[in-house]
Amino acid sequence: MQFHQPTDIDEAVSLLSKNQGATCLAGGATLVAMMNARLAEPETLVSLKGIAELSAIERLADGSVRIGAMCRHRDTAQCTILTDGQLLVNAAAACIANPVVRNMGTIGGSVAFADPAADYPPALVAVGAVIEITGSEGTREVNAHEFFVDWYTTVLTVGELIVAVRVPAMPIGSVGVYHKLARVSGDFGIASVAVVLSMLGEICQYIRITIGGCGPTPVSLPEVESALAGQSIEDDSLHAAGKHLANACDPVDDVRASAEYRRVVVQRMVVRAVKEARSRCGNTE
Amino acid sequence: MNHQLPITLSVNQVQHSVKVLAQDTLLAVLRDKLSLTGAKRGCNQGICGTCTVLKDGSPVRACLSLAINSADCEITTIEGLATPESLSPLQSALARSGGVQCGFCTSGMLLSAHALLKDNPEPSEDDVRVGLSGNLCRCTGYKKIVEAVLEAAREIQE
Repeated sequence: MQFHQPTDIDEAVSLLSKNQGATCLAGGATLVAMMNARLAEPETLVSLKGIAELSAIERLADGSVRIGAMCRHRDTAQCTILTDGQLLVNAAAACIANPVVRNMGTIGGSVAFADPAADYPPALVAVGAVIEITGSEGTREVNAHEFFVDWYTTVLTVGELIVAVRVPAMPIGSVGVYHKLARVSGDFGIASVAVVLSMLGEICQYIRITIGGCGPTPVSLPEVESALAGQSIEDDSLHAAGKHLANACDPVDDVRASAEYRRVVVQRMVVRAVKEARSRCGNTE
Repeated sequence: MNHQLPITLSVNQVQHSVKVLAQDTLLAVLRDKLSLTGAKRGCNQGICGTCTVLKDGSPVRACLSLAINSADCEITTIEGLATPESLSPLQSALARSGGVQCGFCTSGMLLSAHALLKDNPEPSEDDVRVGLSGNLCRCTGYKKIVEAVLEAAREIQE
């Protein structure tokens, strides 16, 4: 196994494109665990820890926040420049695994691995994040809902790496809520629900709902969101929204829960998460 | 292809020159090449926390850290937390409270607790439980470990 530690992005891209079978090493929280289990044996490792610009978090002029791919979950969870509904990303980062693993794992690594049960994917889809990618063919930007394409599969091609995740500005006064159901603290979720909501009085102005852990990629339904927007949020419409989303999920049976259980529970989780978001909107008025 | 690469690891403020394979974890090198066996190999998957060490003062899993990727960091293991003659307040409190049974989780618990108290010198019981949530113990039921960390925090404050 070869090991390289480039100091800038161009050098990393060149190493990745020159070495077939090269893999980026970010925080190691997943890749090294897989290497230890002999599930991954990359021929070449390109460590990204020497590339300082990948660790920056900055707010851009349009109110979006650009989180460098090497930002650790701990940094993202404690980041104070995310505001309004963007705080959904803090909330998701704060419930990943445990404090020690949050000190290792990175947003770029988590997103690139695309574990459907991970916490970032549904949160990033709900805030409409943009994944900034670079490779030997140049740079491109992909919306989070198009970035995740299947179980552990993204649009990333050989030789590409994630540079940053950009979280757009959310409506002023909006709130972000992330609910995760797990058997024990720190475990992967059985299911999770990410919500961004803004209310004007009793009327829903803006809503995004995304389900995690219930299929190959995060689940969201624009028609469910547009049915709720512009209305007061009644219990009936909220239960209907939960039911639609649960029907759109494609969960599997695994060690944590059955697919049937996930479908039942996720419907209730949607109702609960939106209700919490609504009550928090009231408190910030 | 599997050639050994020379690196220098700084562990407990001592420089060690070792040759490693790219895939060698920090845990394997600490235990097998430097004979620092305080960090334990439990799951080797980052779940159990027995291999926890400090890297530049922050807790990490030694089993998920590659040695070659740790060469420019200061590593602290349980062997560097105190001297055999004089235990740290955390270690004394843990011994007094009976928070040690088989001992396999103890070094990882101590390093996580050490990092917790550095960030938060006056933790609540809940803060301690969250801070130690990445360290599994199969003997004690955690109660005495949590009590020991709270007691050590009070002692350090006094």
